Amino acid sequence: MNQTAKVLEATGIRKHFGGVIALSNANLVCRSGRITGLLGANGSGKSTMSKIITGVYSADKGEIKYNGRPVRYRNPNEARQDGIAMVFQNLSLVADLNVWQNIVLGEEENKGLFLDNRGAMEHSRAIVDQLLPDLDIRKMVHELNPGEMQIVEIAKAISENPKLLILDEPTAALEQAQVKSLFDTMRALVKKGVAIIFTSHRLWEVMEICDDIVVFRNGANVASIDFAKDGKDPEKIIGYITGETKEAKTEKKARTVSGETVLQIRNLNYSRFLKDVSFELKKGEILGIGGLAGQGQHELMLALAGNYPGATCDAKLNEKKIRLTRPAYAIRNSIHLVPGDRQLEGLFLSHSLFTNIIFPKLGLSRQPLFTPRKKYRKECQGVIDSLSIVTHNMDMPVNSLSGGNQQKVVVGKWLSFDTDVLLLADPAKGVDVGAKRDLYDYIVGQVKENKMSVILYASDNEELIQYCDRLLIMYEGQIVATLEGEEINDETIVATSMRVR
Amino acid sequence: MSTRSMTNFQDSAAYKIIDRHKKLIIAFLLIVFLFVIGEFTVETFLTLSQVLLTLKLASFIALFALCQMIAIAGGGSGLDLSVGYMATITAVFTAAIMEGRNSHLGVAVLAALGLGLVVGLINGTLTAYLRLPPLVVTLAMANILQGVINVYTAGKNITGRPSPVLQTMAAKSTGIFPNIVFLLLIITPIVMILLYKTKLGLKLFGSGANETAAYLSGVNVKLVRCTSYIISSTLASIIGLLLLGNMGIAFKDMGSNYVMPSIAAVVVGGVSLTGGDGNYIGVILGAIFLQTLTNLLVALGWGDAGKWTGFGIVLFALLILYLSNRRKR
Amino acid sequence: MNGKNNNAVASALKRFVSNHDFPRLLILIAMFALTAVMQKNFFAMKSIVRNINSFTPLILLTMGQAVVIISGGLDLSVGTALSLLTCVATSVMRQGLPITGVYALLVTFAVAMAMGLINGIGIGFFRVPPLIVTFATSYIWLGIALFLRPTPGGETVDWFQVFYKIRNIESAPASLKAFGEIIPPALVLIILGCILWWIISRTKTGRYIYAVGGNSESAYVTGINTSWVQIKACLINSVFIFLAALFFVGQSRSGDARMGDPLTLKAIAAVVVGGIALTGGRGSVYYAFVGALIFSFVSKIIFFANIPNAFQTLFSGVIIIIAIAGSQLYTLSSRKEMEESKLT
Repeated sequence: MNQTAKVLEATGIRKHFGGVIALSNANLVCRSGRITGLLGANGSGKSTMSKIITGVYSADKGEIKYNGRPVRYRNPNEARQDGIAMVFQNLSLVADLNVWQNIVLGEEENKGLFLDNRGAMEHSRAIVDQLLPDLDIRKMVHELNPGEMQIVEIAKAISENPKLLILDEPTAALEQAQVKSLFDTMRALVKKGVAIIFTSHRLWEVMEICDDIVVFRNGANVASIDFAKDGKDPEKIIGYITGETKEAKTEKKARTVSGETVLQIRNLNYSRFLKDVSFELKKGEILGIGGLAGQGQHELMLALAGNYPGATCDAKLNEKKIRLTRPAYAIRNSIHLVPGDRQLEGLFLSHSLFTNIIFPKLGLSRQPLFTPRKKYRKECQGVIDSLSIVTHNMDMPVNSLSGGNQQKVVVGKWLSFDTDVLLLADPAKGVDVGAKRDLYDYIVGQVKENKMSVILYASDNEELIQYCDRLLIMYEGQIVATLEGEEINDETIVATSMRVR
Repeated sequence: MSTRSMTNFQDSAAYKIIDRHKKLIIAFLLIVFLFVIGEFTVETFLTLSQVLLTLKLASFIALFALCQMIAIAGGGSGLDLSVGYMATITAVFTAAIMEGRNSHLGVAVLAALGLGLVVGLINGTLTAYLRLPPLVVTLAMANILQGVINVYTAGKNITGRPSPVLQTMAAKSTGIFPNIVFLLLIITPIVMILLYKTKLGLKLFGSGANETAAYLSGVNVKLVRCTSYIISSTLASIIGLLLLGNMGIAFKDMGSNYVMPSIAAVVVGGVSLTGGDGNYIGVILGAIFLQTLTNLLVALGWGDAGKWTGFGIVLFALLILYLSNRRKR
Repeated sequence: MNGKNNNAVASALKRFVSNHDFPRLLILIAMFALTAVMQKNFFAMKSIVRNINSFTPLILLTMGQAVVIISGGLDLSVGTALSLLTCVATSVMRQGLPITGVYALLVTFAVAMAMGLINGIGIGFFRVPPLIVTFATSYIWLGIALFLRPTPGGETVDWFQVFYKIRNIESAPASLKAFGEIIPPALVLIILGCILWWIISRTKTGRYIYAVGGNSESAYVTGINTSWVQIKACLINSVFIFLAALFFVGQSRSGDARMGDPLTLKAIAAVVVGGIALTGGRGSVYYAFVGALIFSFVSKIIFFANIPNAFQTLFSGVIIIIAIAGSQLYTLSSRKEMEESKLT
């Protein structure tokens, strides 16, 4: 076999964030002149791997060899100077500079005393021409659409003449034509001997562009496939991505809920994130929201909770028209949100459990001026007991709790309300198994007693499969499929999420 | 869970309690430190009358610092630089209303409340709803108030006198203890209850601690912040009455010298300038520290210059200690 | 070919009119015209020189403040920094000893740089919120200035008036005096400031000031030393304050620990009127110049409107609030969509 030189070899990489293990034992090899695809479900550790290679995170264990030499970068800049460029998922552009200034940012060259702007523009022009010839490089970046921004981001990485280029979900924001020219550019780079790591949720893209792929699952690589040798079999790849979930799948009754409609949403629109989202939620139902990460699920949950004054929709709760333009309106109508990022959106970290749990009551108009402390402390103790929150007492600041118990506090905020619709945004993210079970047990119990209905968004398909009665798949801000009953299984979910287009 | 990890947890909990009051302890140690230095460098630094005078003067700083604390607590990098001239303008107008008569005290208080309400509403609207930087808005407001004072006092020396009741409250002593200290002792628990036990206080701290979480919990964060400026201004206005009572006359710059100390006291007292946190006891300690520092510098013959330099350096150093956000990776 | 050129001109004109800054230029022209109508002999050489002299400090401070604001900072200490520099200069100089003027220049410049460095370290290195850290330092400057000059006063050397009115220096050569009559020294200082920024804006530092102010995280990830860039922005601001101090000392021939106080807020307001976002990264230092001019003309108009002296502070305060609020409303309305997409 005429294998080209190994540009990068990472072995036994381990990384955890708090109590959550992102990578347990991950290996990756990239060769010069080849495009290596990284595949895996949400949260399988692909992005963490890329970030460890470029020094955004440092690995707890393991070795990375670059061109045969062991390296350990402390920040992306050191990696860049060594010829490793990464296109970040969250854009690293400066919105107030124009396109060419962004492309050469950090790499400016002087001509005499001053910056060589003419040279920089020509240099940028040449790169942008390959990717998107129509783009005016004198446009400010904040005037560009998301796809164009992504192109500029890629151009910025290419302009540094990297030897190893890491593209983390570069196509998520791109249109088909833009993807095509990106692929052309990638092929041209590979011909020059550059090694590329390519991450994408879209299977067909990976199959089209990559020479070989590595599949990640639960923080470890489970398969390496050389397309030239092993052939391209999408079913097999999906099998690797989903793994042995069939065996591990827990017993689940396919419930068909046929109660009356609790919540009816028609034509929910918000900016570019949500387009004409319509659905119905029945009484006593757990409605799942799935799909690839970042397809508008997060925004949908926030919009239903009234976080976006700019969102428009016709919403009916129990046949009554309601407005969802303020969180207070949603709460008054018994629609309660457990937000996805509990630290940023859900908790007052330095404040006590007690304050956190009673806080939503303060927004109610019938709340007296002086908080009835005794009554509330009793209620608070009730919440701690029914969710089995592990803590010394209710006056401990919540940042002394573990992730799972913190999440329970966020759910506990709504426990003393008569919740009609509970919105759960990724409730098990960064939560240990025990706490996760406690949480879901409690919620499923409430639902079974017909006390409330739930809309559940989870980045982990396993949770959706286990708990949902119906599942909506979202793609680019729209609902593209509704799965019911037997259709709610891993293969169908992954396939519907990925095979759109 | 093993017993060992349980004890570890207890250890960390105890540590956290100390950690939580770390800033209070620092403030207290700073005061002790100053008294020790003062005792060694200046004669008769630690006498009873000196301490009582310090307490009296520190009370005014502490009252102004309460305004700051409330403006800061709501978050959004809140601060109120207009409190100094707010107090002055009230003093100037109410002195003219009272003219030394107790009978007009009620009208004067009403006028003070009204003035505070209007100014606070403007400050609050501009910062909370228009999202302008509070420091810039309130500094501009201070300018406007100063302008109004200039217009009103043009060509006059004294605009009137406070009512005797006010003078008794602010300037006189009962036995050896200044009355203003009693007032502070009454105000402190009220403030603590309002801030920590009522829904307004909890909403205020919540909005400062995590704006998004508060908003998603149904709190109207903008309204809460706007209200905090109204309270701050109204309070400053009431302080203006006391200041007038203490001084006996109203003059142009009577309040403006308290702005810097009020902010420094809040920082020394361990209130997080990002909001959502704060202990008024610490703020009072901060005020005592600053007044002691002033006494020491004055006793050493460094006067105003030394006072401002000292305040500036203390504030600068504590800001770096408490707020530094250095990049680490 | 010709048609294409015409098109280009038309589109350039269109672009200019639809430009964000077009309303500011209109306001400037209106204020200019109004002042010209109200001030007698507005176009006489004497009035022009007098106007330039009274505008200069604000223009210089505004440009310096603009640099800091674009870099993502904000300096509340410019006023007291200016006062301190006048006190330093007048403390170093001794009347009748021309060489002390040179010492004064050197020492004052060194002090200016030191102040910029301290602010810069607080803002850039320790990353303490700029408003509050410069609020603290402003009192350090004030205290030191009061040490040096408890009351306004101090000595200057004769030739220091080269920064104000060359005609007043007896020993100056006739040619220099003639030059000073044509181009007032204040204008030279402003031109110096503009040249300084013109040079910096064409170097990496200038580009990075925008990058760091626009998105500090992105700039950091791209390998820019963000702390150092913010420190440099504060140092540049110090140069502008230094130039303003030279003019002041030349003009008033004394130092005053409180003279600069009102200028801080005016400079910030002028920056805002100049269309520079207080959030940083956006706007042009030259438009800060425009903002300062608008402000200066407005105060001239107030002056010529025969408003009593006592009303001056009140009016300028009200105008500052209106200007800041108005600019913010304008910016908010034109960027509503962007703000919305930023929420996630």
